[in-house]
Amino acid sequence: MRRHLVLLLLAAAALMPLSGSAQQYTGLSGLLHVPSAEMNHEGDAFMGIHFLNKAMTPDTGFLLAGQKYDTYDYYISLTPFPWIEFSYMCTKRKSAESEQLWDYHRKDRSASLKIRPIKEGRYHPAIAIGTNDFGTGIFKKNRTDVQLYFFNYYIAATKHLNFGGNELGLTLAYRHFFRGYNAKWNGLVGGVTFRPAFFPQARAIVEYTGNEFQVGLDALLWRHLRLQASLKDFKYPNFGLCFQLNLLGRKYTY
Amino acid sequence: MTQRNILCRRLGSVALLVTLLATSCPRHVRAQAPTPGLDLFAGLSVNFRDVYYFRQYDFLINLTPGFRWTMGHDWQLTGQVYVPLVNQYENYGNGFKVNNFALSKELRWGTLYAKASAGLFSMNRYGLDLKLFLPLADWFALEAQGGYVGWLYTDTYWRITKPDRFLGTVGGDIYLSKWNTQLRGVAGLYLYRDFGAEAEAMRHFNHTTVSVYGRWSDTYGYDAGFKVIVMLPPYHRTRRVVNFRPASNFRLAYTVMTELSGNRIYKTDPEENERDGWFSRHFLLWGSHTMCPDFVINQKTTEE
Repeated sequence: MRRHLVLLLLAAAALMPLSGSAQQYTGLSGLLHVPSAEMNHEGDAFMGIHFLNKAMTPDTGFLLAGQKYDTYDYYISLTPFPWIEFSYMCTKRKSAESEQLWDYHRKDRSASLKIRPIKEGRYHPAIAIGTNDFGTGIFKKNRTDVQLYFFNYYIAATKHLNFGGNELGLTLAYRHFFRGYNAKWNGLVGGVTFRPAFFPQARAIVEYTGNEFQVGLDALLWRHLRLQASLKDFKYPNFGLCFQLNLLGRKYTY
Repeated sequence: MTQRNILCRRLGSVALLVTLLATSCPRHVRAQAPTPGLDLFAGLSVNFRDVYYFRQYDFLINLTPGFRWTMGHDWQLTGQVYVPLVNQYENYGNGFKVNNFALSKELRWGTLYAKASAGLFSMNRYGLDLKLFLPLADWFALEAQGGYVGWLYTDTYWRITKPDRFLGTVGGDIYLSKWNTQLRGVAGLYLYRDFGAEAEAMRHFNHTTVSVYGRWSDTYGYDAGFKVIVMLPPYHRTRRVVNFRPASNFRLAYTVMTELSGNRIYKTDPEENERDGWFSRHFLLWGSHTMCPDFVINQKTTEE
């Protein structure tokens, strides 16, 4: 079954005019759950929604009767300059009063920021630093009164290799989550991306999140609709779509 | 070298510069002064909040028809009403609300630009307002705003108080034309008698401006957020004596905190926004006004 799902995702990517480069559930560029040093194009604005399997959420804060539940987030993001991206994301939460399947009363707000001080060169990788869910709470003296469920910071390096028009992307990052219940995703993480020459809009991704492997595909349809689907630990599906627009009026195929 | 020669050289240089500017600027970049006429426009004011535990969002949506009478000589009369379409805000009335009815005049003394307004402004305020803008360089300008206002409520019932408060801010603007980026900082006394300061960084794109801001008020504390201003199409227009069009812009402002009383100030123009600033494009060519204009007025072709 697991193998069938992977094959299905790969087949879907081969059939669709795809493109993409996103840690899409946050609205920023990256891999799937792992950040990278890739950046979106200057002027790119994203507005999207992403289904998050319970395996993608923290082990605290997304519990109902002691059980984790699937949820979703929505976000907007912008790349004002080629070296900086930021996004604003809301992740839906249930409360003890939630009775229906879709009864999400609450939401967790978070902001993400990524800066790339070193652009990728011929021989050296791009270097980026960033953070997710950095709220005003990180400046508070009593940090236990704020949520910061997704708060982490990282440094990432990404290098792309081209051969015959195909593009291979290598990413290595060090990431640290603030909360102890996310410690399983701490440490060295990384992944490999592949963009085929015959269809450069498509991208296949394999990554190690620090705790498990995750495979996925992302894509851009008609220059504006970005899709991403992945399997965490080869069995937990996550997927999302977003509307993408370049505010400088530039047209990119991926 | 005689003084006459120096004067002639300077005049010649200025004439050459003006000629070069006039001939090198693309036609669409040059400011187009609007001919006198009446604009009738309408847009939507969309507000939503998330302040209740068991309800995710409350919506308040108003239709915002208005008019702008461009009278010539930089005089303008503007007006706007709010017509509630969806109202889930308990503390917001369901009646028609006059949001703006103001007479404005743009003035210039040397390099000092001013805009004086009188009438009913947004946030239920009426009175007098004066805005000053002093460009010291292509990249730097000083600004100030002062007002003397009272309260005028125009919803399901009307109520008015005498003008009872002065308010004013001073600040500066930096415009980095290479990156179409504007940095703005102001401080002063605000509408609810709080002292505060705010800083904002704006990135101007084609027809869109996105900004992030932070602010502090001695009464209401810290706040931050972002704004998105989208200039609405059509971007090519034909100018007539009476013009029907959509509102010039849609503006979204997000605040992290739920306290909305800090650092507040009214708007004297129903279409005022951070992208355009206070002044007409043809009047003050500074900052985002040096970019390609959002709206181009189609020139009438002379028939043979």
